[in-house]
Amino acid sequence: MKDRRERVDISKVDDELTRRDLLRRAALGGIVLVYGGTGAKTAVAGVPKFRHRQHAGTLRIIQWSHFVPAYDRWFDDVYVKRWGDANDTEVRVDHVNLAELPSRAASEVAAQSGHDLFQFLSPPAAYEDRVIALNDVVQQVERKVGKISRVGRRSTYNPRTRKYFGFADNYVPDPVHYRADLWSEVGLRPTTWENIRRAAPRLKAMGNPIGIGMSNELDSNMALIALLQCFGAYIQSPDARITIRSKGTRDALNFMRDLYRRGMTSEVFAWTASSNNDAFLAGRLSLALNAISIARSAEQRNLRFNRDIRILPIPDGPGPRMGLEHVMGVYVIWKFAQNKRAAKKFLVDIGTQYTGHFLNSYFYNFPAFPGSVKRIPARLRRNTSYPNEVPGRYPILDQISKKWTTNVGHPGYSNAAIDEVFNKFIIPQMFARVARGDMSADEAMRAAHREMTPIFRKWRARRKI
Amino acid sequence: MRRRDSVLTYATVAPFAIVLAFPFYWMLMTALRADNDLYDIEQVPYKFNAGSPTSANFRFLFEQTDYRQWLQNTALVGLAVVVITLVLALPAGYALARLSGRAGQSLGVGIFLTYLVPPTLLFLPLSRVIAELNLSDRLWSLILVYPSFTVPFSIWLLMGFFKTIPPELEDAALVDGASRLGALARVVFPLSIPGILTVVIFTFSLVVNEFVYAITFISSSEVKTISAGVPTELIRGDVFYWGALMAATLIPAIPLALLYNLFLNRFIAGFTGGAFR
Amino acid sequence: MATVARATPEDRRWQDVLEERRFLGPLLIAPAVLFIVALVGLPLGLAIYLSLTDATAGSLTGDFVGFQNYLDAWDSENFRVALRNTIVFTLVSQAIVLVGAGLLAHALVRNFRGRWFFRFLILLPWAAPVALSTVGFLWIFHSLYSVVNWTLIHDILPGGGEFYPYRAVNWAFARDFWPAAIQISPIEPIDPPQWLGEPTLAKAAIIAVHAWRILPFATVIFIAGLASMPPEIEDAAKVDGATGLRKFWYVTLPLQLPIATVALLFGIVFTATDMTVVYVLTHGGPFNSTHVLTTWAFDTGINSAALGQGAAISLYLLPALALVAILMLRFARRVEVT
Repeated sequence: MKDRRERVDISKVDDELTRRDLLRRAALGGIVLVYGGTGAKTAVAGVPKFRHRQHAGTLRIIQWSHFVPAYDRWFDDVYVKRWGDANDTEVRVDHVNLAELPSRAASEVAAQSGHDLFQFLSPPAAYEDRVIALNDVVQQVERKVGKISRVGRRSTYNPRTRKYFGFADNYVPDPVHYRADLWSEVGLRPTTWENIRRAAPRLKAMGNPIGIGMSNELDSNMALIALLQCFGAYIQSPDARITIRSKGTRDALNFMRDLYRRGMTSEVFAWTASSNNDAFLAGRLSLALNAISIARSAEQRNLRFNRDIRILPIPDGPGPRMGLEHVMGVYVIWKFAQNKRAAKKFLVDIGTQYTGHFLNSYFYNFPAFPGSVKRIPARLRRNTSYPNEVPGRYPILDQISKKWTTNVGHPGYSNAAIDEVFNKFIIPQMFARVARGDMSADEAMRAAHREMTPIFRKWRARRKI
Repeated sequence: MRRRDSVLTYATVAPFAIVLAFPFYWMLMTALRADNDLYDIEQVPYKFNAGSPTSANFRFLFEQTDYRQWLQNTALVGLAVVVITLVLALPAGYALARLSGRAGQSLGVGIFLTYLVPPTLLFLPLSRVIAELNLSDRLWSLILVYPSFTVPFSIWLLMGFFKTIPPELEDAALVDGASRLGALARVVFPLSIPGILTVVIFTFSLVVNEFVYAITFISSSEVKTISAGVPTELIRGDVFYWGALMAATLIPAIPLALLYNLFLNRFIAGFTGGAFR
Repeated sequence: MATVARATPEDRRWQDVLEERRFLGPLLIAPAVLFIVALVGLPLGLAIYLSLTDATAGSLTGDFVGFQNYLDAWDSENFRVALRNTIVFTLVSQAIVLVGAGLLAHALVRNFRGRWFFRFLILLPWAAPVALSTVGFLWIFHSLYSVVNWTLIHDILPGGGEFYPYRAVNWAFARDFWPAAIQISPIEPIDPPQWLGEPTLAKAAIIAVHAWRILPFATVIFIAGLASMPPEIEDAAKVDGATGLRKFWYVTLPLQLPIATVALLFGIVFTATDMTVVYVLTHGGPFNSTHVLTTWAFDTGINSAALGQGAAISLYLLPALALVAILMLRFARRVEVT
């Protein structure tokens, strides 16, 4: 045995040891390995350790699987590695599906252990007591690149407790996508809600209905709350009182019922977050509200109507013109985080210099600190390496992000009560009931108000709003 | 008469088989399609059009994601949980079956009731336990927790099986000089192979199905199980990779169904042909 | 030799203990019970405690608020819808499963050509991870790419046979002749049925998926039950001249009752405590009309971070389920004994 080992080279020995180690572990747990192979070892023993130079500290980050896979690759393999080397920190990034973020967050808090940086995709106001205040981080970044955007501040700051409970690094604009070829046949552009209503019957008759979801999913929530805003209706006032019962809401509800009957089909009640993408990319829809994932997918698949997809800001309505962010990247640092110092440093750095993220996400992520990416308009005019990119499509995003993007809960802040109203889909529920004719606008408004009252009461009693 | 019987049999089985298996046929059709064919509403979805069939979705799964690793992890957890479940449930099921009177029955029912508690209620407290034990992000966390829903069910099931084994058989072994545990191991357990197989199959299938614990205890891609890994990589924001998703579902389902079918034959034969009822 | 001699009394005592039923029983049961208490009992206790507090956002402590969470939950219209749905989905899907499994099991115990293959097809739903197979149904019921709808609105006869299934469906069901519950409004090709977007259809879809995934399991249990039926009884029935329906009713059914009860019990538990199917298929939509208690609890307790209330919503189900389970288990046992 000994003789034999002397003859084999080092790597073989290493190999054999690991295999033995594996067998020992397997025996320990009484496990029969059917598949065998080397993967099993990492599976049982946990994460494999990289064999390169050890850094002094470690930083663990968790965030969603980005819509642009290339962004994740760049972030994990380039950005984070470079940052880790510069800061003598071993950085590990885990990804989860965006729908799994809330349960992941709750379980990390319950476990009092997990990642140092946790990125939510909506403002996690309810977690305020579980995270450290990041006022100092925001101030540091503001000193370097100028003020945080209004949408960033309103989504991460609690005026009642004067705390930044999260750090917004990015938000994603939520423009209107429409098919110029179809709309030109009608002779209109979807710049106002009235235009959409007028064009809708003919578009539907052409087999290309309007696609604004009224379902229990993110895109519906965003589009409908934005529609409310355009009719001067809001969920809450600046001081977080429910204001859903208003003339504006009634008008918006009646408008939507009309629009549904004239220009939409019942598919909008069945949608998941991906359905409007699917339907638009299949060539069915003439209009949808979504992040630029629709346009980008059309480019990637090189669809025949790729060039006819146009992007516009939220349409103008009777009220002030105002759209919403589509998703909002908000990092928090748990109170129990192991490496708060590195986590804060990471945030300061990402907040200060966001250009790489902006470009590698192909204009999907917009900086929450506008000063952290220089010359945004010029960059939007330049082409990226994205396949079949349509020149001139994206410069409008600059105006959209600056002028027509606000937070959920506008004119107030994105507080815990708003988050609960959002996650219980009370707004889509209200719209759908009216559009289907199950309720009058007034009844639906009252029902929504009834559902919201205990939610706001609860969070007010907890002194969070 | 016999002819009519067999026509009747096919007439019953075939519609059910078609309805139950159709989704899998459809998953296969979807998984073999090229994107441009799949997303073209003008095309007939029952046949392959331009660019299809293609193995692109399968290749994507195996080359661009940790899918192979997730399969391995799932198999590993499943087997480990099966072993732990048997170790805990066999003795307990036997003892409950032999406990005279109401006590055994009540305890059996009590244990079964714990199966009713949904994971959605337990995963938060349990994630604390997992963290305290330093098992976060390891397969051990699942191997530890999954028996909590497989054991109650298995005890209860085995209890029933053991009751069908006459105590006289053990007594005979005892007379022959075996110890009680010896009688258990040599006489009773071999006779309960069908019951054990049932436990193995259902334990394994419960593990493959589990989802809530898998996504909350584990966050590194290399350590995920199929149910947790697939949605992370193949549902990106508002885009579903439909073809790859269907492929990912098919791959474990087909061998598992074959395996279940194989075992099924044995365990049914096992207790119809057995000497005792 | 000496060591052995010294150790012997110790060994003997241990062996005596192991031979003694009073000790051996608890000894064999204890590990499992301890395990379950540790991993289900204690967390459940904590969950019950949480439901009595105002805990939020993953925190495992909170201020005591008594039964306020339970009362608040009840006040919400969405909660009452979820409660009703849980009951309806469970009962209807299990009724379908019972009938289906009964028929299938009777057919599958016979010997026929291709039985192995048919059984494989029938077992498939049970073998697929439910979280993923439900995504498969999301695709089948997709608002645009649904294969069901494609088949409905296209000419399915090869070579332009001009047979559009939806016309047949309209002809059969879109008539005033039917009561409102059965009558449908005519299907139009531009706006085919939205299986997940119309409350009635969405509920039907959810029930169908539940039945689909539980049917194989129930069938297996039924087959096992049938196979264990003593052939003497079959012979006796033949001698008495009982055939067909009569035999089924008076001989097979009573003998099958305990096993049917077991299958039903598992079906009820699987359906009532499942979250995946509804969460993936409709997320409670359209307009919160298909929520069940588990999904509503999840949206409240996890997605909206009102943890105490979420726990309360989940716990509403438990006493009812426990009662059902106890009754059914006792029933199964009573039938077995007589």
